[in-house]
Amino acid sequence: MSLQIVSSFDQDKNFWKIELSGEIDIATAKSFKDAIDKAYQEQRNDIMLHFDHLNYIDSTGLGVIIGALSRMKENSNRIQILNPKQNIKKLLTITNLDQILL
Amino acid sequence: MADLLKFSIPGKPEYVGVVRLAVSSAANCAGFSMEAIEDIKVAVSEACTNVVQHGAQDGNCYEVECRIESDKLIILVTDLCGGYDTEKYLEPCIEKPKESGLGIFIIRALMDEVDILSTLGVGTKIQMVKYLL
Repeated sequence: MSLQIVSSFDQDKNFWKIELSGEIDIATAKSFKDAIDKAYQEQRNDIMLHFDHLNYIDSTGLGVIIGALSRMKENSNRIQILNPKQNIKKLLTITNLDQILL
Repeated sequence: MADLLKFSIPGKPEYVGVVRLAVSSAANCAGFSMEAIEDIKVAVSEACTNVVQHGAQDGNCYEVECRIESDKLIILVTDLCGGYDTEKYLEPCIEKPKESGLGIFIIRALMDEVDILSTLGVGTKIQMVKYLL
């Protein structure tokens, strides 16, 4: 029940690749937020969140993404979620966040 | 006869995952499908997250009860964290997504029946029901 985060910047395509595995909930949302903020402060570009190995995300994790998006807006950068599992896709659909994140 | 499982959990972030596991296991015993178990898990976790975020002081416990009945699972999350004004809750809006307020919305979307009773100065009870198909 923990969260692993690997961030790397793709020099060719000019975006951040952040790979998540484990669970994002109230206990791990802070480290998720810190990873996004750290990356974006270092290099202001789009962020691709790789959810291939993420088993769970809740409203605190979604809140982190929404918060980051609003801070990235002035620079017109976006966040995209790649390969979410079925349970996470369902959560994105019911919150309508699929329209801006998938 | 219904089976009643009761848990008392310290209001700390690191234990919300423990409730998720326990409730998933109870829902599995009750005979729910994988997808329904996932719904129940997310909804209960959101209810617990609300308790931990809004007021649970370190060491203050809240309670989770699972009542397994023949045709449904009833889950009650009770805290003594002072309550809030449920009238002031605003539904999230896709045009203007916010960082908070999603939890209750998600619970209502995933469970068949949701009742929230909050008494200002006392605490909040969230009762959630999922029916076995």
